[in-house]
Amino acid sequence: MSKNKFTRSLAGVAMIATVGAGLLVATPARATAPAVTINIWTFGDVIEPALLRAYKVIHPEVTIALKKADLDPSMTNLTTSCSAYVQSHHLGSPPDIAAVEVSYSGYWRAYPQCFTDMRTLSTSAANANAQSLVPSSSNIAAGLSATDIKNNYLAWRWAQGTGYNDSVIGIPTDVGGLEVAYRTDLFKKAGLPTDRAKVSALWPTWDKFIAVGKQYMTKVSAADKKKGVGFIDNVGTIYAASMNQGTYKYYNNNGTDAGQLVYKVQGNAPVYDPKTKAQKIDPKTKKPMFKKDWVLNPNITKAWDYTIKADNAGIGTRIGQYTSDWNIGMTKGTFATILAPAWMMDYIKGQAPTTSGKWNIASLPGGGGNQGGTQLTIPKWAAHPQEAWDFINWYLAPQQQLTVFKTYGLFPSTKVIYNDPALTGFKDPFFTNAPVGSIYLTGIQKLQPIFEGKLERAIDQAIGAGLGRVAAKKQTSLQSQIQVMIDLDKATK
Amino acid sequence: MAEIATKGRSRPKAAPSPWKQKKRKPSKGGSGVPSLNGKWAYLFIAPFVIMFLIFGLLPVLYSTNLAFYQYDPLSLSQTWVGWDNFKFVLADETFWISLGNTFEIWALSTFPQMLMAIGFAAILRSRFLRGKTFWRTILLVPNITSVIAVAIIFGQLFGRDYGMINNVIGFFGFPHIDFVENSFASHVAVAVMITWRWVGYNSLIFLASMLAIPDELYESASLDGAGAWKQFTNVTLPGLKNTITFVLIVGTIGGLQVYAEPLTLAGTQDGGSSHQLSTLTMYLYNETFINMKYGYGAAIGILITIIVLIISAINFLVTRRVASEDKR
Repeated sequence: MSKNKFTRSLAGVAMIATVGAGLLVATPARATAPAVTINIWTFGDVIEPALLRAYKVIHPEVTIALKKADLDPSMTNLTTSCSAYVQSHHLGSPPDIAAVEVSYSGYWRAYPQCFTDMRTLSTSAANANAQSLVPSSSNIAAGLSATDIKNNYLAWRWAQGTGYNDSVIGIPTDVGGLEVAYRTDLFKKAGLPTDRAKVSALWPTWDKFIAVGKQYMTKVSAADKKKGVGFIDNVGTIYAASMNQGTYKYYNNNGTDAGQLVYKVQGNAPVYDPKTKAQKIDPKTKKPMFKKDWVLNPNITKAWDYTIKADNAGIGTRIGQYTSDWNIGMTKGTFATILAPAWMMDYIKGQAPTTSGKWNIASLPGGGGNQGGTQLTIPKWAAHPQEAWDFINWYLAPQQQLTVFKTYGLFPSTKVIYNDPALTGFKDPFFTNAPVGSIYLTGIQKLQPIFEGKLERAIDQAIGAGLGRVAAKKQTSLQSQIQVMIDLDKATK
Repeated sequence: MAEIATKGRSRPKAAPSPWKQKKRKPSKGGSGVPSLNGKWAYLFIAPFVIMFLIFGLLPVLYSTNLAFYQYDPLSLSQTWVGWDNFKFVLADETFWISLGNTFEIWALSTFPQMLMAIGFAAILRSRFLRGKTFWRTILLVPNITSVIAVAIIFGQLFGRDYGMINNVIGFFGFPHIDFVENSFASHVAVAVMITWRWVGYNSLIFLASMLAIPDELYESASLDGAGAWKQFTNVTLPGLKNTITFVLIVGTIGGLQVYAEPLTLAGTQDGGSSHQLSTLTMYLYNETFINMKYGYGAAIGILITIIVLIISAINFLVTRRVASEDKR
């Protein structure tokens, strides 16, 4: 990790040195620009340091101050900051740019009063001038508003950053995408094909994926099974993957800011015996009893059932993602597959460097996939909206996104480079030279836009807990669904 | 006070009570401070009072007000909902789970810890121990370690598949314990973290208290034929009574605030799939800042305050009883 960072910073220094040398002549013309600090609130690796160093070369007067937090706390910070603006109309406090994750985009769409409508902004002439002086930069023209750059971006990703009244509150940084990362060595050991086309052909549907998992598990020794070895790292990830393949999740777009809640529908709910907590059996027909009541919508139950089916098949390790067990398991080969968004590739490389060349990427069962993705927003109270807009335009320009993809694996949100051979032909030696560019692209293009509602994150959390209870054998699937309904009624009240 | 007493020109024969001395008018040639009749005192306590009003009282009043609203921090108009928030909290299963968890973790961490601390203190007091300062320093090291660091390291020790503790359990042929999903095991894990962090600190407090017990008591006890154990139960323990009360109160205050350890172990703000690791503070934070229900969160805060008041009242009664027993 530290070695990696060192190499990166070396590269940055080299970049600055070479470009800086070329700049010496141009310096007098730029000396007049006043110093500006752009405050960016972000999480994870949304803003990559190497690009910030490159930006410093173009705009020596701009200092970028990054404030990183975990995802949920960063949203809490933004809420507090917006609250101060709404309640007291105080302008000029940080941040100038805030990164908003997709699972929160529905929440923020409900509060367009917090964000600058990017249709009203336009890139400055000074910026265009500064960029034209640096030969390697991507030359953002002056006078560009959000409307002008809209067509550069993938339509459904762009929609996730727009408010209900068509105001543009966020520009998408990347597309998560979702494919299956698998270990070729472990597949070979289990007698499965290792070639990515053949592996993809193994699982066109989630049912087939679970069947392959079962087949894999038959080859796992009893001793390894006792150690917790499994086919997939965590079956819980199947839920989100399958959910995103539907046409809607928990909300319908009814033209309002928050959307219309549709997590429950009228249907057949099981009748429970309050004493035994088991489903009641009709004494006459000897069949389990149901009554007409609220149940989770069919999209949720479909994704839920795949997850429970995979759990019952015993193909998952039940290791939580981003835990220490997960990081160790990745190296030790405790699991053979991970449902991996594009941005996770860099994480795998960082956590399991010794497995280089043992991974490959196959397509996701059930169609296209997406997980995660971020928008950059400019809050209404930002002190430097102009400089922030200039920065966003440069940072999210197709050329920069391509660099980020090659270096960190974040998949570009700009569709204009989707035909670029540098993207489609990009191969990653860590993943057995898989053409990761074209693989993720194919999955992303299969996806339909899904309306993200206000409390998406809280609902996901409650359902995830429900699946966890079933996996931990604390509740049966039906009991847990009923509990989820209660939790959701509470969370959305 | 002693200084004022020596300054007095005509010193009374019997030593006056210090309270009376305070009221005595100072000599004209003396420093100007006392002549203001204690008005300076207000200036000196002002920083605390001002800070308290701004950061203590004002938020309390503000959040009390919040508790009666369905409060949206991002809009200007709020809906008055009366006592609804309180009703919902009391009807919320998660609140009761969190309350139960908090007390279970408190009990699991406080009592074993106290026994261990007294044990360590007795060892440290022993005449035969070499390098006393070294051992005392070592005991305090866990306490100055960052809570998050402790929680992360222990989280790895308690890992279900590759954690060291489960490796040992597996070595002896027992099935692995899930220290996150299993409710009781997870509470034990959190209690171990808390104990590890605080046992040394409490040992030193007990040690100080033990050293204050006069040696004559031990001498006369041994003359009466009491062995080491008898001396410990009949001389040391009664002498520690006040300290035990003190440690218990401080432990209870800490126990109601447990947050970082269960949060890091559970990994999620809601305390795991069945809220098995959710404590009162985690519940408060989750509802307020993750589910963005500020009014609801404020109501939880008030209920926690009431719980603290009840516990304080019990503590007060117990302490008074201990103190009055001492007078007898």
